[in-house]
This record gives sequence, C-alpha cells and structure tokens, in this order.
Amino acid sequence: MTKAATKQAVPIGVIPTPLYDRMEAISTAKSWANWAGFISPLVLDTVEFEYFAIRNQSTLFDICPMHKYRIKGPDALKVVNRLVTRDVSKLRDGRVGYAMWCDEEGMLIDDGTVFRYSETEFMLCCQETMYSWLLDTAWGFDAEIIDDSHTVAGVSLQGPTTFSLLKDAGLDAVEDMKPFDLREIEPGLWVSRTGFTGDLGYELWTAWNDIGALWDRLWAAGGHWGLRAIGAEALNMVRIEAGFIAAGVDFQPVHAAMRLNRGRSPLELGFDKLVHFEKGHFNGRRALLKQQQDGVRYHLAKIDIGGFKPADGSLIYHRKKREVGHVTSGIWSPTMKQNIALAELKAPYGKAITDDLWVEIYVSEEGQWDKRIVPLTFVDKPFFQNARSRATPPNPF
Amino acid sequence: MTNSSTYDVVVIGGGHNGLAAAATLAKKGKSVCVIEKSDAMGGMARNVAMGEGVSAPQIAHLLHNLNPKVAKELGLGDLLKGSPLPTTSLSADGNHVVVEGAMVRFADGTTHPDVNAYAKQTAQLRKFAGLLGQLSTKSPPKLDGGLTSMAALGELAGLAKLGLNVKMMGKKDMREFLRVVLTNVYDLVLDEMPDGPLAGMICADAVRGNYVGPRSPGTVFNLMYRLGTGGEVRMPKGGMGAVARAFEAAATKAGCDLRTGSGVARVNVEADKVTGIVLEDGTEIATRAVLSSAAPMATMKMAGIEHFDVEAARRIKNMRCKGTVAKLNLVLKSAPQIEGLSAAQMAGRLLIAPSAETVERSFNPVKYNELPTAPVVEAVIPTLSDPELASGGRHILSAVIQHVPHTPTGGWNDANRQQVIDTVVAQLEAHMPGLSSTIEEAQLLTPSDIEDLTGAPGGHWHHAEMGVDQILTVRPVNGLAHYRFAVGGLYLCGAAAHPGGDVTGVPGRNSAMQLLKDGVLS
Ligand SMILES: Cc1cc2nc3c(=O)[nH]c(=O)nc-3n(C[C@H](O)[C@H](O)[C@H](O)COP(=O)(O)OP(=O)(O)OC[C@H]3O[C@@H](n4cnc5c(N)ncnc54)[C@H](O)[C@@H]3O)c2cc1C
Repeated sequence: MTKAATKQAVPIGVIPTPLYDRMEAISTAKSWANWAGFISPLVLDTVEFEYFAIRNQSTLFDICPMHKYRIKGPDALKVVNRLVTRDVSKLRDGRVGYAMWCDEEGMLIDDGTVFRYSETEFMLCCQETMYSWLLDTAWGFDAEIIDDSHTVAGVSLQGPTTFSLLKDAGLDAVEDMKPFDLREIEPGLWVSRTGFTGDLGYELWTAWNDIGALWDRLWAAGGHWGLRAIGAEALNMVRIEAGFIAAGVDFQPVHAAMRLNRGRSPLELGFDKLVHFEKGHFNGRRALLKQQQDGVRYHLAKIDIGGFKPADGSLIYHRKKREVGHVTSGIWSPTMKQNIALAELKAPYGKAITDDLWVEIYVSEEGQWDKRIVPLTFVDKPFFQNARSRATPPNPF
Repeated sequence: MTNSSTYDVVVIGGGHNGLAAAATLAKKGKSVCVIEKSDAMGGMARNVAMGEGVSAPQIAHLLHNLNPKVAKELGLGDLLKGSPLPTTSLSADGNHVVVEGAMVRFADGTTHPDVNAYAKQTAQLRKFAGLLGQLSTKSPPKLDGGLTSMAALGELAGLAKLGLNVKMMGKKDMREFLRVVLTNVYDLVLDEMPDGPLAGMICADAVRGNYVGPRSPGTVFNLMYRLGTGGEVRMPKGGMGAVARAFEAAATKAGCDLRTGSGVARVNVEADKVTGIVLEDGTEIATRAVLSSAAPMATMKMAGIEHFDVEAARRIKNMRCKGTVAKLNLVLKSAPQIEGLSAAQMAGRLLIAPSAETVERSFNPVKYNELPTAPVVEAVIPTLSDPELASGGRHILSAVIQHVPHTPTGGWNDANRQQVIDTVVAQLEAHMPGLSSTIEEAQLLTPSDIEDLTGAPGGHWHHAEMGVDQILTVRPVNGLAHYRFAVGGLYLCGAAAHPGGDVTGVPGRNSAMQLLKDGVLS
C-alpha cells in the first residue's frame, strides 16, 4: 500500500478523495463539506432518500477521510492498552472494538475503533488527527506508529440488503462474519462488520488506489438491492437513532478545546462499561478512578422529547425553572416516530434526578419565533435496535 | 533471586538527600534501607582519595545552603558552627574585592565604593530569598484548580499566590519582588553599580550550576535560591566529605540499613502500588514505599513507563538538564599565594569572575559545545582550613568550572581534557605565580564524567535545570510536583524535586514528610 512517489505541489484548500469523481457525477444536491481536509458529501440527492435507503436498502459512504493509524511491533498491545480505556488484551485477533482514549485528567481525546489483526498489529480509526499523540504514547515502547490515513481507503456499506449485495459482488465469504469481526476477504481487501448506523453493515478497507475499483464493483452489484451513495446528514440521523456519540458534537475532543473544563470523561458520557480499571494503568486511569469516587460532573443521556419539533441545541430545565443541561444532538426519527436526542445534564440531573425535566424548544415559523416547553423522558437502550443488525449469517433479502 | 528482606521504605541513592530522607523516616520509627549504587555514600558531596594521604572534595566543595531546619532535625548543627568564609573576587589589576556578609572591601582593607548599594540590594534579596526559603521546607503549595500552564506561572500574579506571605513583606516589597523575580541578574546588578569584580561575583553566584548566563531570565530567582539560608559559605572541618559523613551518621544512628555496591535496577509495581525493588545483582527487597533520589527519567524507567501517563512521560522526557559545570582538583606540593591576600582570605572562596560581562561571555562557548577559553571559576583550598586533608604539607585546590559543555565537539579525548585543565590552571596562575610547577596531580571531572559517576542527567548540579518552567509547583515537571511520583508509594527525594539542588537536605526531608502525611505506611 504505497503512495505514488511522484512529487506534486501541496494542494490548496479541500482535496478530493479517490471516490470524489464518482460521487460528483451522481450528485444532484452539490452539497459538500470539509471533512479532515477532504471534500465529503453532506447530501448527494436528498436527505430523506438517503436516510430511508440506510434503513431499507443499501448505502455507500466514503470514509477515506477517516484517520487511520497502524500500531505495529512487539509492544503494540501494550501501547494500545496504554492508550485506550478498555482492555484490548481481551479483544481477539480479527476483531474490532469501539474504544475511547483520554488525557491525563481522564478527559476524552477522541473515540474510534481499534482493529486487532494480532497482538503485534493494530489499526486505530478515528476522527481526530492522532499521530503525535500516538508517538508520545508509544515512546519508550517497541512499537512503530504508521500514519495510514492516506494509504488505506475505505467505504462504509450499510443497510439491511448489504449482505445480499456483497454476495452478488462475489464477496459471500462475509457470510459467517459476526458483528465486529474483521477479515481479509480477498488479498488486500479487508472487511469489518462495523458501522455507524446500528444496522446491518460492513466497512471495506483497501489500498488508496484500489478503492475506486471496489466502489465500481459494489455499484455494479447494487442496482438490484437499491444501493445509493449517501452523505453525512443522513448518516447523522441514523447514528443518533443508534445512540452513538459524535466528536465535536456530543463531546468536545479535549485536545481541540481551547477553554478550560470543556473536556468530558467516558464516565460522564455514560461509557463506564468501556473503562476497565482492573487492566492496569492506562492514560487518565488515576484521574478517572478519582472521578468515579468523587462523582461525575455531567451525565450524557438518551432522551425522548414530547412533540415533534427537533430539539437540537435546546436548553433543559428542572421544574421549568432551573437550567440543568442542553440537547447535544436531536432529530425527529422517521423510523421510530419519536422526537429523540442526546442531552448533557449537570449531575445529579440525568441520574439521581430524572423527574420534572423540560426541554425548551424554539421554533421559527417564517421569521416568527415561538417557544415550547415540552417534557422529556429518559431512554436506556439505543432508540433504534433491530435483530437484523446482529443476525449471523445475516438474513438474505 | 533472593528475597532477602522487607522494609517500610527503600531509598534509592545514598546522596545527602537520600540519607536525609532515610534518617527522617527512621526517626519516626520506620524501617528504612538506603541503596547506593557506588561503593560509598554521599553522592555529589563525598570526598575522594587522590593518591596516598589526600582526601579531596570529589564534586561539591562548599557548604552554602544547608537548611537549618534539616540540620536541627537530624542533629547536624555542628556543620553550621564556625565562621563563614570570605569571598574574594579576583581582579587582574590586583585590586581584589573581598566580601564578608554585607561588608565589601578591597583586599587591602580600603572601602569599596559600592558597599552601600551592595548591602542594600543583598539585604532585599535575602529578605525575598527568606520567603522563598520558607516555601522550600514545605511541599510546593497547591493552587486551586491546578497550575495548568506555564503561562499562568509566567504571570507574575501567579507567583504571588504561591503562598508567599504578602503581609510579611508589605506592598512595596511585594511589588519589587514580583518585578525582579523572573528577570535577569545582569540588569538587576548593573542598575545599582558599575561593572567590575563585585558585579562579576554576584552574576557568577546567580548562574552557577545552571545552563544560563547573567542575561538569562530567571537568574535573579537562582540568586535568591542561593541566598535562601543567608548565602554564607562554610567549610566544615574535614571538608565536604565531613558533611556527607554527618548525613550518613544521622541515618545510621536513626537505625537505617545502608547498602552500597549494587544499584536499584527495577521498582516492582502491582495494582498501582510499589511492592518492592530489584537490585542490579538480582536481590529482591520487599517494601511499601520507595523514595528515589535518582533522576525522574531514571526513576520512571525503573518503575516502568507504562505506569506513567503519556503527558507525564513526555514532560519528563523533555526536561531541561544540560550540565555545564566541571570540577578540577589539583594536588599541590605547596600552598599557592596570591599577592595582597591575608591567610584568611586565601583560605576562603576565590572567584575568577572579573565582571558581569565576562560571566556572560563565559556562557557563550558552551552553547556551541566548544571548550571554554575564560570560564568563571570558583576555587577553594580546603587544606588551608584543615591541613589533615593532605599529608606531607601538600595542598588541595578545588575548582568548580562554570560553563563547560557536557560533550564538546570531538568528544572528551585526552587533548580536550588537557586543554580545559591548562586553561583553568593558566587563569589561576595569573593570580598565583608558579602554581603549575607545584601541581602533583590534576583530576578533571567533566559534566559527562559527573553523569557517569552519579547518574545525574547531563551531570547537572541540580539534577534538572532550575528555570521558571522547572521550579516550585512545576518541579520537576507539571503534575508531579508534590514528591509523589505517579505510582502509589513512589516518591522523588533528590535534587530534581522541590526546591532543588545544592547540599540542603530539603528535598529528602520534605519527601519523607510527604510520605508520612499521605499515610502510605499507616
Ligand atoms: C561540579 C559540581 C559542584 C557542586 N558544588 C556544590 C557546592 O559546592 N555546594 C553545594 O551545596 N552544592 C554543590 N553542587 C550541587 C550538589 O552537590 C547537588 O545538588 C547535591 O549534592 C545533590 O544531592 P542528592 O542527594 O539529591 O543527589 P546526589 O548527590 O547526586 O546523589 C544521588 C545518588 O544516587 C545514586 N544513584 C543513582 N542511581 C542509582 C540507582 N539506580 N540505585 C542506587 N543508587 C543510585 C548515585 O550514585 C548518587 O550517589 C555541585 C554540583 C556539581 C555538579
């Protein structure tokens, strides 16, 4: 997976991914965003079509801009376990794990997925640039950090018909892959049964220069299965339905935050189960242990809000008086027919105190603002859960 | 491997700080073992034999900062008896300047024109230094919410919060303190007096041991640090070696076990707590606490980097510790003479630092890893105070050479070593005619040699540069300032910890107190 060694001028502004031309050709919305310096679609056609395609058909999303780092060497396991809060020694080879990592104060630096190839080789996939942090983490250990962000390319294939689509594309070897399995399905083509949708789906990884051909191969098999290319907006809706948090939205990556006390710990985000105190030292462990003893400052919670007006950014009140939090991500869920959101509440609200909480939603009707105070209730499980997302082998369609 | 014994506390390093920590803990009834890698206790403060019948101060040679509280607690009061030594700042024209306490004279007894300016400035610096000195016997104060950035310390207001007793100083003094504390000594001194041997002496004292020249920021703080216990210079009977032996005796008397000849290779950690140590020879010793006077980096590696947060490891890795001081010991057939100096002055501290300007220039070569051409020198002839240190009427001249690179271009080959010796001998000979013909033996320890001998990173005087980014609440590094060294039961107790180096006994004593306070042993 080597990059072409030709010397080029450094491109200015956002740059295309290897899939950009294909997406540009089918884009009617022409709605693009800057994702890690790459041109990335917000919407290619319409959000509604793309959203329903994720929940009913198959969708392709370009994840080339994700940051990918390889951690390789005799101490690779030690380094990854020093980095993340969960115990990666319990992750088997050929498995992927969702993970969080913290600074010395136990504040989240970023979250992402850890791909375990073997005890001596891992890939970390995340939103934020992490190269220098990984170098610091690996300092003194026998492990190499390789920035594969521009050598490994990926697409996310998500939706209930994706298994059938892969079979048609000649990739039926994914059949017995369980959620979070990782496998080299063909030489140079890695598949993980992962995604950001809470639905059946796969992420496919290959060399930067081979991703175009892979896209074409999936596209050719996709017509029958309703394949659509999608943008980030539809994806954002389904990730909220699945209860996944987003960096920069539901928490502020602490290295990027300029102001004091903007960081949040995994405990405050409700991920206690991903903090494995018993595994030995990891970054921020002592601070997190202390926080566990002294109590957290915040609770991030899944909430169901009255009415149907999306509540993104709304403030939350106790007894309609005392301001105790705000909605970090909120949508009207077309599948659940619910007004759902992730919200951050100041402790003890959200855990010890869950009654008499209200969301204040502002709505503009052609320039006229209206304020609604609606009740909220807490939801434990992901809003969207579906057996098909876990079935192995996946149900054919 | 043998599990030979169990102690409440193991102290790594038998320098005076390790010994002070051990004695303090043993006096409180704890079982303590001191492990020293080399074959003798004392660290940088020990004496070394130079041939038959000669005992020379191997590295440190003058007592100027022993903390009275430590001396009292450990019964070392005798070291502070006897009168302090005069300091003579040598001048090429023979008008040497002699300083004794607040008094400044020329060597012939005539009054020095800047005596009042000197007395006034020194009195004020001593006052400020006294306040910093009070801080030194405590764990560095905590700031609410933590002192998270250098920027915060850089803000002078930050220092005001460091528990300094404002009321004791009054508003005017406080303002003056905040004005000068982070500035450079060159400006401070030359605002008050013309350049010359007196200004040179003050500047030399402000830079000694650190990788700075008098124009570097923070040198006023360093001067205050030096004046923390008054700034008087002493040579106890038996020389510096007697100081080391006194610390050793205090530890032994308090019931500590002292072991030499094999260093600590590893600190065992289980469930985030110290459980024991392993010596280089494989011996295992179980213990509940480890106090280390080895450098932060070495200590971190002994315990395992995996037990330290990434940020802590990064800060420790990036600590500034470039040693710039070399040591030259000469064995002389007869006592050297300097024209116009009395016997008492000859037996005192002799400085080659004829002006602030020359002190600044002395710093230049080291920046480029070049050998010094006219370095600042602090010399003392201990045999004039205690003739028993050398047999047969011979003498020892001990010289601390400020501003010698850790590793010069070309490395420390014989030619480079000889060049440093020749340069310093020639500088001394300019004042001590015939000196070179009386030299029986010359022994040079470069910063690199000192590092090899003691493990101090860079051979640094203070084990870590005393700079505004590495003092008080950020010594040795931000986040690890209260002697506690990340792992439960692991503490730093050497010069790299607060308040810093010199023979003070303070880091060792404070670290022991912190351990007791934290209740690790209860
Ligand atoms: C050239 C020079 C001249 C100086 N002159 C003076 C002076 O005149 N007056 C003054 O007050 N200060 C002077 N100093 C500074 C002063 O000597 C030191 O700051 C002070 O002695 C430090 O004491 P310490 O106990 O913290 O460390 P050290 O004295 O350095 O002792 C540390 C000990 O730990 C041991 N050790 C290291 N690693 C291990 C291990 N793994 N296991 C076991 N043991 C280990 C070392 O062998 C050493 O004995 C001078 C420094 C230098 C470099």
